[in-house]
Amino acid sequence: MPTVQIKDEARIGTEARIKLEPSAYLQKLSKTGTPDLAWMSDHGEWGMRAVPGNLGLRLKDIAIGSYGVVPEHGAAHNSMAPRGSSVPSDVPALGFTVNDKAECWADNVMELYEEAVARQWSSARDIPWDELKPLPDDLERAMCQLCTFLTEVEFIAADAPTRWMSRINHDFLEVKLFLATQAMDEARHTDVFRKRALANGGGLGKSSALAELSLKRIFDAGSFSAQTARLHLLGEGFVLTMFRQGEFIAPSRVDQEIFRRCMQDESRHVGYGTMHLRTQLKMRPELAEEVHAELDDAESILLQTFSVPESVEPMAVLMGGGIKNFDHGMELQGNLWRRIVAEYLQRCDSAGLDRRPRCILPTDFGALMAD
Amino acid sequence: MAEFPAPQWFEALGRLMAAEGESFRRLGYAEVRFVVAMLDADGKHLHDTAIEIDGYALAHAAALAELPGFDPDFTICASATVWHRMLEEIAHDGRPALRHTLSSLALVGDEMWLESTDQLREDKFYRFNQTLQELLNLSGKLSR
Repeated sequence: MPTVQIKDEARIGTEARIKLEPSAYLQKLSKTGTPDLAWMSDHGEWGMRAVPGNLGLRLKDIAIGSYGVVPEHGAAHNSMAPRGSSVPSDVPALGFTVNDKAECWADNVMELYEEAVARQWSSARDIPWDELKPLPDDLERAMCQLCTFLTEVEFIAADAPTRWMSRINHDFLEVKLFLATQAMDEARHTDVFRKRALANGGGLGKSSALAELSLKRIFDAGSFSAQTARLHLLGEGFVLTMFRQGEFIAPSRVDQEIFRRCMQDESRHVGYGTMHLRTQLKMRPELAEEVHAELDDAESILLQTFSVPESVEPMAVLMGGGIKNFDHGMELQGNLWRRIVAEYLQRCDSAGLDRRPRCILPTDFGALMAD
Repeated sequence: MAEFPAPQWFEALGRLMAAEGESFRRLGYAEVRFVVAMLDADGKHLHDTAIEIDGYALAHAAALAELPGFDPDFTICASATVWHRMLEEIAHDGRPALRHTLSSLALVGDEMWLESTDQLREDKFYRFNQTLQELLNLSGKLSR
């Protein structure tokens, strides 16, 4: 075998300030040539074998033996040592603060993680940018304003949960894995809407103080669960419907492809949030009041956000097919608003939260305009 | 040749899906079971076809009546006219018109709508939407 050449090899370590003596083990190994091999007996479940399914070896397939048991309370050692491993007594703690399964778990989280990994896409490669054609000015301006809003709000679903990610006990790794895919999804959404705004002669439009306020409240949420209610249930659910609308209003196949792909990603995030709250409310019913309080505030900000022209009008222009059909666009928007509210409340139902009596979102879009 | 929405028609799509291979792998796998319902003008169900996609393959297609235990994530309901318009557009252009896709029609909800017992399960329609649409788009390759 040829020797690997390292440049200036003689100089390596000549100015090092720390020098380690060989450990007792290495000294013994050097002296006797006999390996220790004690680590070989620390495989508590030797002989177990995870079996791949028809889609390969997924997380659910390796959920076997002691590794497969997700504890109700995360390990007290608070380290990144994996479940099912032999953990030395002197591992340093990382100070996780989300140490109960009920605080973060969702029964569909392994499925959603694998699905997310399998369904990743590239905004550079998978969007047929070369099919983008000039649009009438009003449609292009409306699309660019919508893209500005979306690129402004999307990354909160990466920034905010990842603040908590580092605090989640590593025994709930699957939650962290899923949140990592969500962060990647949101990175792509943030980039694709910027690309779209800048790709067809329009450019970025007006940002929104109210949208920023809603982001700040998500960012500042006092607990992971509170954040999940705001972010996944209302925020992402709302954006999911916007993506669906986006596909409907798309003036070109480029836009349709962008919105459809984002829609698929976003529905995974909503799926996690809904299931997480369902798990949580089952285990800690007293949490319902905290979730309601978060949603009281989040709904209020959402209504305020939809009381300014740059939020209301682009959708109406796009739905109507131009400013000339603005009234028709508003009518369509009213129908879709009912759907947003209906699906939001159905997701609350699915999570086990009776939101109807407290919900301040009117089902009639016209009610937003009435005195 | 079987006609939409006969199970054999979907099985033919399944064979095309298998032949396409890489393009569906690129979209990512899907695990979803659903019913395609064709209604008459009065909303009466004329045909209900149960379909299961498992991974990158159409695993099963059968008349719903033959599968009493079938528990779909959602049912896609539309009249024969709406389904046939979509299939005509696919035959002509390889895909439906921008506002006649599964997602667009289901969003507006007057010509096509979803039925489900649980929003979480209904959301699979959105999670796997591209796969569902691409599957139907394969009908453009069926002989007519």
